[in-house]
Amino acid sequence: MIEYVTPSTIDEALAVLAAHPNQARILAGGTDLLVDLRDGKMQAQVLVDITRIPALNQIQVGGRSVEVGAAVTFATVKNYEYFQNHVPMLAEAAGSVGAPGIQNSATWVGNLLQAMPAADGAIVALALEAEVRVIEPAGADWRPVTTIFAGPGRSAIDSSWQLITHLRFPIPPAAWGTAWQRIGRRSALTLPIINCAVKLELDRDRIQHAAVALGPVASTPFRARAAESFLEGKPPTEEMFEQAGQIAQGESMPRSNPLRASREYRLAIIPVVVRRALRIAAGRARGWKSQ
Amino acid sequence: MTTSFLLNEQLVQSNSDPITPLLDVLRNELGMTGTKQGCDHEGECGACTVLLDGQPVRSCLTPLGRIAGRSVLTIEGLGTEGNLHPLQSTFIEVGAVQCGYCIPGMLLASKALLDREPHPGRAQILSALEGNLCRCTGYTRIVQAVELAAQRLQNPQAALAPASRPIGGSALRSDSLGKVTGKAEYAEDIKMPGALHMLVVRSPHHHALLRGLDASRAANMPGVKRIITWRDIPNLNGFPDYSLEEPVLTPVGDTLRMRGAPIALIVAENEEQAAAAREALEMDIEALPYTFDMDEALKPGAVHIAGDGNELSRYAVQRGDLEGALRASGHIVEATFETAFLEHTALERESLVGRIDEAGRITVLGGTHQPHNQQRYIAEMLGLPLDQVRVIVPPVGGSFGGKQDPWPFAAVGLATYLLRRAVRLIYSRRESFDASPKRHPYRVQCRIAATNDGKLTALSARIDCNTGGYDGAGRYIPNYAVTAMGGAYRWRAVDILARSVYTNGPKSGQYRGFGTAQSTFALECALDELIEKLGVDPVEFRLRNCIGQLEDVFLGYPLLDTLGYAQVLKAVKPHYQQFAKEAESFNKENPGGSVRRGVGLSGMWYRFGKAGSLKVEAHAELAGDGHFIFYCSAPDYGQGTNTVMSQMAAEALGVGRERVEIVNADTGRTPNSDIQGASRATFFVGGAVKEAAAVLVLSIFDVAAELLDVPIERLVLMADKVAIRDNEHSVPLSEVAREFDRIGKSRRVSGSFDLTPQLPEQRPEYLPLFITGAHLADVRVDMETGVVKVLRVVAAHDVGRAVNPLDAAGQIEGAVVMGLGAALQEEYLPGLTDGISQYQLPTSSAMPDIQTILVEVPSRLGPYGVKGLGEAALLPSTPAIINAVSRAIGSRLRTIPATPERVLNAIRGRRP
Repeated sequence: MIEYVTPSTIDEALAVLAAHPNQARILAGGTDLLVDLRDGKMQAQVLVDITRIPALNQIQVGGRSVEVGAAVTFATVKNYEYFQNHVPMLAEAAGSVGAPGIQNSATWVGNLLQAMPAADGAIVALALEAEVRVIEPAGADWRPVTTIFAGPGRSAIDSSWQLITHLRFPIPPAAWGTAWQRIGRRSALTLPIINCAVKLELDRDRIQHAAVALGPVASTPFRARAAESFLEGKPPTEEMFEQAGQIAQGESMPRSNPLRASREYRLAIIPVVVRRALRIAAGRARGWKSQ
Repeated sequence: MTTSFLLNEQLVQSNSDPITPLLDVLRNELGMTGTKQGCDHEGECGACTVLLDGQPVRSCLTPLGRIAGRSVLTIEGLGTEGNLHPLQSTFIEVGAVQCGYCIPGMLLASKALLDREPHPGRAQILSALEGNLCRCTGYTRIVQAVELAAQRLQNPQAALAPASRPIGGSALRSDSLGKVTGKAEYAEDIKMPGALHMLVVRSPHHHALLRGLDASRAANMPGVKRIITWRDIPNLNGFPDYSLEEPVLTPVGDTLRMRGAPIALIVAENEEQAAAAREALEMDIEALPYTFDMDEALKPGAVHIAGDGNELSRYAVQRGDLEGALRASGHIVEATFETAFLEHTALERESLVGRIDEAGRITVLGGTHQPHNQQRYIAEMLGLPLDQVRVIVPPVGGSFGGKQDPWPFAAVGLATYLLRRAVRLIYSRRESFDASPKRHPYRVQCRIAATNDGKLTALSARIDCNTGGYDGAGRYIPNYAVTAMGGAYRWRAVDILARSVYTNGPKSGQYRGFGTAQSTFALECALDELIEKLGVDPVEFRLRNCIGQLEDVFLGYPLLDTLGYAQVLKAVKPHYQQFAKEAESFNKENPGGSVRRGVGLSGMWYRFGKAGSLKVEAHAELAGDGHFIFYCSAPDYGQGTNTVMSQMAAEALGVGRERVEIVNADTGRTPNSDIQGASRATFFVGGAVKEAAAVLVLSIFDVAAELLDVPIERLVLMADKVAIRDNEHSVPLSEVAREFDRIGKSRRVSGSFDLTPQLPEQRPEYLPLFITGAHLADVRVDMETGVVKVLRVVAAHDVGRAVNPLDAAGQIEGAVVMGLGAALQEEYLPGLTDGISQYQLPTSSAMPDIQTILVEVPSRLGPYGVKGLGEAALLPSTPAIINAVSRAIGSRLRTIPATPERVLNAIRGRRP
């Protein structure tokens, strides 16, 4: 029988992990972990349910950054007014995960830990240039979200002794906008053929900074760095977006999956989704008002 | 460890392991079976949705430990029979409940929506229900029910009372109440303490030789009651008229022709023990070369799977001078169409229980179309007389043909016979994907031609039907393929050949339309290509080439009944013109835009009724208390036969429906109405019910005439009495019943519907009864990604006479969305698709606006003028959508599903 513990503080959770080396695992939403345990892909003797730790259920919007607890569900993210108004791609991406009944359980941080190259939560976290706070016996620190993706489906975080407590992302000081695009075989309960998250920061009529994230086009969630570099300093025009899309296509290495789409199809639509996302993000950045 | 939580406002405690999914705690420990399971605890169907602190969650993915101290609402707590929640009432009223398996989850997801958003728009409703799969309704009426409930919560008003209406008036379903309250007992919900659990050992290979089998170790595992192999089958290891050479259990020395082919049955005290024994079973299996491809299978020297050169059967029709007709044609379209394996994916998996009944009979309960055939297969397998086997159909969570498979019945019958104990078999969803029958993939190479002035001339077609590893009734498929290929059209010459071909794909079998939908797709898409070439109106073209009432059909015989095709086409014509105009102006206003609209039309004809015999029986009984009981075998797996039969019985008796009880589909109690397939139930079984009612009335009048001492001619049947016309004297039916008993006269009579006298002695093998319909689809295509959205559909069908218009429309709406799935999304790829998560069933947001038109061209033969409908409704949906997409993009699609990738390739001019 698996032991199930529901700590009410972070320290308690860590103490349980420490007391059961290699046997305990953190459980958040569970929508992936429970399936993996059932299929025998994952083993655990002790499950540490962190969803009742108040500190991990909070979203804190500060002047320069936003912090999201590890137990915050996609439904909470999707319905969070600040995100709907100011970080729409995040609310939209959260609404793309699984289905509403899944979003009420699944957490954003848990989605990152799956380290799937197509994970909607990972793609949007990349575009937000997010960091995660990792606690382990040696101490706690903030790490770029990119560091936790070790390979397809492989996380660099081991939930038997490491705990991500929060995710945070910066709020740009000036005009910025975001956008989310997703093409799939249907609109719910399916992995994307291509998903794309874009953040643009404008300085008057120049792109000051761009983050373009794409999935699944590499072995881990991917940032189109060449396309981003190209965009920086350019005017936010349709022509630039078109070129950025072509560059993003050039640096992507999607694979064929007969159940979803071929490499060729994925490559063909990358410029389209990147261009569309950039266009929407730029429009939102132009309409930006300081909060 | 004990976990306490609030369940429907009551404090409950569970002793299960805290990792146990809430779904299992509810169903197995607490006996609350209203919450349904449709997938393998993976959150992929939504049937198990419950509210956790007011929010919908998948109970299959919610561990018990998580809900400690929290509040759970299940369907049992939403409202009860006497005190329904407004959502439960409106779901019944608008006809949102068909098989009912998704309904508890739908209701709870809808409640959570209305709690947080009392005035939801349609988009919000679709979004809230996204991921709660429904295979029956096409979501249309579910959305309507939520809209109506929202209104009613704001302005409380009395719910519609279950109406007692004659046929032709929309009737509320008699069995919906149990389905919206979670009380309906599907096979999986039947409580049988002490029942044994059965697991099936199946081939992991697509093609293999079973060289040896050693059950000795597995048989000695804890809790194992028996390992059953082919040696244990007392009499016949097969399914005589259903499937050539398909074994119940594969003998050592034989080949396993598909992944999932059955090898042995393991029966144990519980599932875990059975699973452990399955691991311990020693098998010597040699993998063999395999193919899923019909061309490969037909090549000389190909790996031999079965049959003569891997061909199972063929059927051909040749009439007229094809080459001459082609020469006389100004326009010829030559094209090849391809379709995929489809999985029915009824929300209820294959789920059966076996037990010994009070009369000592081997009794199997489960969803099927053909209880009497299942009874016969089991009896033949066991070498028992028919009357020692009983098959009962409980409420069924959808079939669409999938539950015609006799295999699970044989397996459960065998185990029950050998162990003389209650046994339960529930396929996992993955197992259902591997082992249940699929729709035959077709490749149709055809040429169709017309003269310059728009008259059809010639049709030639070579149709290959992939029957997979086993026959599964696939030997009958070529006949259906050919029949659908010609349509209700006038051809000067036809040359059609269809073959069914063995491969190592999953066994194909019955799927809504039985082999006709694939041919209809090819024909109607090829016609549309021809019509585009000719530049003529698609409705007018079809009208012009439609056969007349007195003409022979292309199969070489005359119609037996009325054909409503022209009326159907005329019904959609104004809609076509309006849609086409709107699409055209949209495209004009958005020149070179990334979005284009297109409108497509498809017609259809479907030969219905043949699946069983020409003579069908039903019984009618005057119960002791004076109400009426009808006995028939028209299983209701969600399409509404229970209600239709009670309507027709009430109509024939001239009483209200509340006086009529239907006993349906139990070989121990109901007469053999033969297989329910080919959309024949309302026509054939309804005819027998009507006849039985007439016989019963006469019998009652005979007795009542004596009691009242008046001639029969003066009697009239009222709700609960027999009265004398224009006179106040009457006798209660309960008293009439007593008089039957006193004089020793049976209160139960038989009536039959028999077409034999209507038919010439020399008649075609299949009945020349045809139903027709036409669909119109309006689509929007993203020209840069190939993503298609179906916006609107108009669907018209000649139903002869609509017995229950609400349900007839519901059948059509469900079929439209099922056809949309086939057109754009669904494909089962052998060796790759291993479960429901990889099979793209339409979700709620795929739902188009659907307008149904019921055209009534009465049948001359059917009771009250009825014809069939259920399967036919699917046929024009797919080609209408594909024609719309092809017209939108200016390039023809010929392979389905038309995934975004295939559509984009077609747009870019590569091979679609």
